[in-house]
Amino acid sequence: MKVRMVLLAAGVCVLAAAPLLLSDGLVNAAISMLIAALFACAYNLLCGQAGMLSFGHSAYFGVGAFATIHAMNAVDGAGLLPTPLMPLAGALGGLLFGFAAGWFSTQRTGAYFAMITLAIAELLHAIAPQLKGVFGGEAGISSMRMPAWGWDFGSTTEVYYLTLAWVLASLAGLYLLTRTPLGRLALGIRENSHRLRFLGYEVHRVSVLIFALSGMFSGIAGSLQVLSNESANYVMFDTSLSAAVVLNTYIGGVHAFLGPALGAALVTFFGYAVSDLTQSWLLYQGVLFVLVIMFMPTGLAGLLDLACGSARRYGARAVAPAAGLYVLAGGAYAAALVFLTELLQRLFSQDYRSLAQAAGAGHWPPVRMFGHDWTPLGTWTWVAPAALIVAGWLCWRAATAVVRRLQEAAPAVPAGAAGMASPGRTA
Amino acid sequence: MEQLATPLLNGVIYGLLLFMVSAGLTLIFGMMGILNFAHASFYMLGAYFAYALQDVFGFWPAIIVSPLLVGVVGILVERYILRRVHRFGHAHELLITFGLSFIIVELVKLFFGNYPVNYRVPASLDFAAFTMGSLDYPAYRLFMGIVAIGMFVAIYLLLSRTRVGIVVRSAIHRPKMAEALGHNVPRVFMGVFGVGAAMAGLAGAVAGAFYTTSPNMALELGVLVFVVVVIGGLGSLEGAMLASLLIGIVTSVAVGIDASLADFMALFGAGDLAREIGGILVLKVSSLAASLPFALMLLVLLVRPSGLMGDKE
Amino acid sequence: MSAAILSLADVHKSFGPVEIIRGVSLTVGANERHAVIGPNGAGKSTLFHLISGQLRPSAGGIFLAGEPIAGHSPQAVNRLGLARSFQITNIFPRLSVFENIRLAVMRSHGLQYCFWQWVDRNRRVREQSEALLESVRLGHRAGAVAGELSYSEQRSLEIAMTLASDPRIILLDEPMAGMSREETQYTTALIREVTQGRALLIVEHDMEVVFSLSERVSVLVYGRIIASGTPGEIRGNAQVREAYLGEEATA
Repeated sequence: MKVRMVLLAAGVCVLAAAPLLLSDGLVNAAISMLIAALFACAYNLLCGQAGMLSFGHSAYFGVGAFATIHAMNAVDGAGLLPTPLMPLAGALGGLLFGFAAGWFSTQRTGAYFAMITLAIAELLHAIAPQLKGVFGGEAGISSMRMPAWGWDFGSTTEVYYLTLAWVLASLAGLYLLTRTPLGRLALGIRENSHRLRFLGYEVHRVSVLIFALSGMFSGIAGSLQVLSNESANYVMFDTSLSAAVVLNTYIGGVHAFLGPALGAALVTFFGYAVSDLTQSWLLYQGVLFVLVIMFMPTGLAGLLDLACGSARRYGARAVAPAAGLYVLAGGAYAAALVFLTELLQRLFSQDYRSLAQAAGAGHWPPVRMFGHDWTPLGTWTWVAPAALIVAGWLCWRAATAVVRRLQEAAPAVPAGAAGMASPGRTA
Repeated sequence: MEQLATPLLNGVIYGLLLFMVSAGLTLIFGMMGILNFAHASFYMLGAYFAYALQDVFGFWPAIIVSPLLVGVVGILVERYILRRVHRFGHAHELLITFGLSFIIVELVKLFFGNYPVNYRVPASLDFAAFTMGSLDYPAYRLFMGIVAIGMFVAIYLLLSRTRVGIVVRSAIHRPKMAEALGHNVPRVFMGVFGVGAAMAGLAGAVAGAFYTTSPNMALELGVLVFVVVVIGGLGSLEGAMLASLLIGIVTSVAVGIDASLADFMALFGAGDLAREIGGILVLKVSSLAASLPFALMLLVLLVRPSGLMGDKE
Repeated sequence: MSAAILSLADVHKSFGPVEIIRGVSLTVGANERHAVIGPNGAGKSTLFHLISGQLRPSAGGIFLAGEPIAGHSPQAVNRLGLARSFQITNIFPRLSVFENIRLAVMRSHGLQYCFWQWVDRNRRVREQSEALLESVRLGHRAGAVAGELSYSEQRSLEIAMTLASDPRIILLDEPMAGMSREETQYTTALIREVTQGRALLIVEHDMEVVFSLSERVSVLVYGRIIASGTPGEIRGNAQVREAYLGEEATA
């Protein structure tokens, strides 16, 4: 427990120091990461804790965003609230729309619920461009941050600290929520809502409340986005945003409180770092998501947990070689996948096809990738990824062998206990 | 009246197209309890496969081979991916089909580019079937409708008259009993999944030539298909047909209505009041056409949550 | 005659053309322990579903302390003082045993929508949860994950959850199903203890349990009560013998 508090405090300090150490561009990326982390944790209240899979959560993000932009433009541009308090507008918007949408959606469960949430988001997406007064049509609405409380909010640093403060406060609120009766009820709904009825609970009403709270925190995230970009556009209601939050949350891990935040921060960061280099970034995200769902449903946080648990049980030095080998294996497979994807993407692109046609039948011009020229039919072009796959497979086998040896040497503790949800957690 | 006939016919045909895709989805859900998010991607794959094969084999072979290929993809997905996740529960199955839909779209963008492709109606079918009022009615639209009806009849006969159909229906209602009687239920599931995918693929192969074939088509249709199954009731083929036609007709007719709700209210003398309130009331119904299916869905949920023809839960 | 806490008046239930419950009338007194026995398929579970609010009767009335509850939702019925357990264990498998009980306890403290208080700080909830766990002898397992308990421990948890709302009448649906002789004896004693001052309606197949635990027994065959009386009367009833006990009358 102490270790966790220390790590948390350290994390907050690092976040607070970020603008002093990073360039403006990176600080902007950090702002996006923080917003994505909050959105993912807000989503997880509904999805991981209450077990209700929403596929249209961008609606509440977007409603919060537009509520904020209107609040910013109100009173002839002076703003309804001082800038640091603007996210309250987003919170209110998200909360109210969350109540309305939640009332409909939570009438059903499971697949029906998922479809209803998707349809509500699509409804908004379809209507928004028509209601130009509210949503600004194709161009959206823009505004300006007004100075308040001694700061002028002109610089990225000030926006960063505003975002950080709200994200930390919201995450704290979400965490405290898990310690309240409602937070525990959410878990009950996930585990067995049928039984809750027989215990006297109005499950529908409780679900609506949880939905609304999730919408509220999503609205705060949307609001922070608008404060950072100084504009809101109906594109925010797009399914890609809803899809992104689902992917981020599950990649991070739904059973640990900060799992979704971790997933969102990592994926956003990678997106920022890599999206200039490749057109297939979304494909990699999708593949990672599917792999996580199939083989590691507890996500990256669960993976970390497993690693720490194993280190505690067998000793860090014993576990380190296995961990290292797994990382190498994963890296090799990932490299092979990236290589093949990038190669295929270039081979099938329109530019290449015109080049190939110009070169004439049977001639395949070289493909430029990672700073090298690769001939499509050349040996290295196919040996490289094959070698990576084989290397990955060997490392994986070696790692599994190490782990098996460790497990056989310490049979007293039941294998598989590491990584199981302990009762004290939000899981 | 002529003004109504064209949108009505268009609506029916679009509805039949929606049915081709949602039939598979509703069958798969009714049987396996899996909501296949990737179903609309099978529709998209059907269009793209047909487009790619068209240059090699010609139009007619392409639209026959393409659904078969999509069916194979469906079988592979069920056998190697869905089955593995089955033990984790329905939520995981939902998520995995969601992830797959994502990956399939990205793969299509990888191989075919992130823009519409030039999949067009073949010259042999590119004529006017008849003239309605002042407009020529394209024969290809009728072709699409015929394919859809033919498919419905085939599936209906297959399910109700053949031995295979009986086995499939028993696996839908009592999978354990069917298995105890010696039928290979996992194989039945795989088959149903494959056939469902193939139906969506056929819809795509046929529709893609007429409508745009682009990576977006999966999403655009996908959401509508979900609306259809919610309105019709999950697991009900008749419900899917009814809901598809309803949505097809409502959207097609709405697109032609240039009046707004305020104009309608003017009939009751409340026109000026409506115009003052503004907002949705002054929007033309034609611009709202895209959002009508969702509004219908919410209405059905209010009034009859299990869908028009679904079982009461 | 003590006032009836639960009474069924000519209750019918059909599913389509099939009538499962064909006119059942039953009363349970305020402190009475009443067992319902009958062959498989007689409709015992359906009866429980009707009483607890999961199903609506096709005809007839169900009254809890005089108040009509037929067709009410399960939560409404529970709030009026009726709690039931389930034949197939119906707990929160991935939560701890303590959490399971606490969820059952929280509602009667009015904490349904509360998100401004920390549940750990609520002393009354904590004490009541601990007391309930102790009463079913699960106190030492409070931190265990509910899904990992042994079968009979889970059944005990099930009973504890049913008691949490301090109901006036509890319905137990085959609580001994699948238990060994020892576990059955232990659970019978437990049930006798915790139902002091309450009414009990229990469905059971184990005749020893039925005859030792209950004050009155009703026999349900094909949706009708064919006999109702003290255990002795039922044992001696020829119709019952024929329909249910068969040749192995536990004389």
